[in-house]
Amino acid sequence: MAYINQYQYYTNNEGNPNDANWGSYQYVTLEDIVNNFMLIYQGNHELVNNLNRFQVLFHAKRGIQELNYDALKEIKILQLDLDSSYRFVLPSDFVNWVRISEWRNGVLRPLTENIQTSYAKAYLQDNDANLLFDQDGNVLSPQDSEIDLARIRGGSRSIYLNSNSVYDGQEGWNVDGCWYFDYQVGARFGLNTETANSNPTFNVDKKAGVINFSSGSSMRSVVLEYVSDGMENGDDASVSLNKLFEEYIYAYIRYSILNGRLGVQEYVVNRARRDKSSLLRNAKLRLSNIHPGRLLMNMRGKDKWIK
Amino acid sequence: MINSVRNTVLAVLNKNNYGYLSPQDFNLYCLQAQMDLFEDYFYQYNNWINRENNRSSGTGYADIVKGLEEVIDTFTVIAPLQNQSTATLNKSSYLLPTATLNGSDYYLLNKMLVYQTIRATGTTTSFAVGQNEIIDTNATFITSGVLPGDVVGYSIGGVPTNTLVESVVSETQLQVESTNIISSPIDYAVYNPNNLKEAEKVTQAKITLLDNSILTKPTLTYPAYIQNALSSKVYPSSVHEQGQVLAQYIRYPFTPSWTYLETSGSDPIFNISDGLYQDFELPLSDEPNLVNKILQYAGVEIREADVVQFAQGQEALDTQETS
Repeated sequence: MAYINQYQYYTNNEGNPNDANWGSYQYVTLEDIVNNFMLIYQGNHELVNNLNRFQVLFHAKRGIQELNYDALKEIKILQLDLDSSYRFVLPSDFVNWVRISEWRNGVLRPLTENIQTSYAKAYLQDNDANLLFDQDGNVLSPQDSEIDLARIRGGSRSIYLNSNSVYDGQEGWNVDGCWYFDYQVGARFGLNTETANSNPTFNVDKKAGVINFSSGSSMRSVVLEYVSDGMENGDDASVSLNKLFEEYIYAYIRYSILNGRLGVQEYVVNRARRDKSSLLRNAKLRLSNIHPGRLLMNMRGKDKWIK
Repeated sequence: MINSVRNTVLAVLNKNNYGYLSPQDFNLYCLQAQMDLFEDYFYQYNNWINRENNRSSGTGYADIVKGLEEVIDTFTVIAPLQNQSTATLNKSSYLLPTATLNGSDYYLLNKMLVYQTIRATGTTTSFAVGQNEIIDTNATFITSGVLPGDVVGYSIGGVPTNTLVESVVSETQLQVESTNIISSPIDYAVYNPNNLKEAEKVTQAKITLLDNSILTKPTLTYPAYIQNALSSKVYPSSVHEQGQVLAQYIRYPFTPSWTYLETSGSDPIFNISDGLYQDFELPLSDEPNLVNKILQYAGVEIREADVVQFAQGQEALDTQETS
């Protein structure tokens, strides 16, 4: 992308949207990456030649996808209200979730992923538990399984310490400051910290493309933090990469091409691989942006007395 | 150069005054010789690239590749391509360069270029002789952002033309450079000249896979094309306007023609003023090679083995010197 003047940067030449160029200098576009690679690293006197541009484009996009999965910190955030089935439909560019929170009373509460399932598929059965089929031989399914219905209607009990907890409302005895209950054999000593959370829980049903939340709460607004693959819904002109990774992406493309080519000496491939790896390490260090100012507040806790 | 070549050839051929070569035969041999040497440039170019990679070629005056590129570049043409048809099926197909359409036939289609941004399209509603204007009462050139320097593509009589906008006269009128807009209606399109993308040539074997690939499917940013017998199909199919596709190609050299005036009882006299006159297009340094090539053909014609052997010997010597 060509350099732009500050008027264009701040106002997009009065275009719509006027914030289109804000922060754009941090990024190098896919178009520039492919163009630069074809111009500089490919040719009669270069390490790789006789390349099709679509090969470079493919490897460039694959490299950007891989970086988006972990190395880049390009977290996207989406806030939506839940529907009546306590579901949150995954965004169209969703690849993996980072954190899911409930937005309630002006407070963002990070939620816990339920270690048990809260959804299932079911088949229709008769009284003798035989499966029922249609005339085409396909097994019949109900709209919701029992476990789904229980979650939606709020009938299921939870192992978590929320309002659906199996312990909720049970009586116990307090002896010398300790609580004892008689509803489990041998009584209950201590706490299962893994499930000790009073917030609602969720399960991600990746195949169905939804996040299922436990019912029984007034929770309606959910904030999803997730990572995408950086492909911007197929709009090549919008795909970009942080400049800190620019040299890495060239090295990645070069390595990928050399690695897949016939007749390239192994030492050349290894050199390209090491080049790629070290550049990735450098870029990650740069992106981590560790400096005293950022550590200051964390380090202030070092003098705190731990009881 | 062609007269000099002919004189040299005749001088070598001449033996007891029977080594005559008719102008018609000479012209035939000129065509063969020039084509042979022209094609040889590309093989030489590849050979010298390999030598550069082997570090056995120099720079500066020893840069042989540079000299070869200069010769090949003299045959370079950049021209807009003609839409094959306005039918939906062939809309994104463009006719390959021909002498009729583009003034020269192509030897090598080096690259195809696509204008990415279309500012305006339409059909002219009238014309003004001698005014060089695109007039379209339905257009909104100013609102559409048409600027001086933009490219206007259109076709008249099946001949594609791309010209530049000199000024935007009004919402419905453009002043352009070309002078051949003397009829109406003409379909036209206006392009932003700064968004020119190179289309990539893809083989027939790959194009279907490429077009179905989610990561590498051709787009306006990364267009592609395939080549057929007479046309090339451009991907994506949204590329279909007249003048939207340019070809940069290496044309064939024009057919050399030694033209002459008939004289009674003596040799024909060279006539450079004849409309059919066409000199060799290769550089002057190729004159000895042309002579050698033509001598080989002429030697066979007059069944003179000495001439053929001499010419072949000279050619071999030249090859040794330049390799």
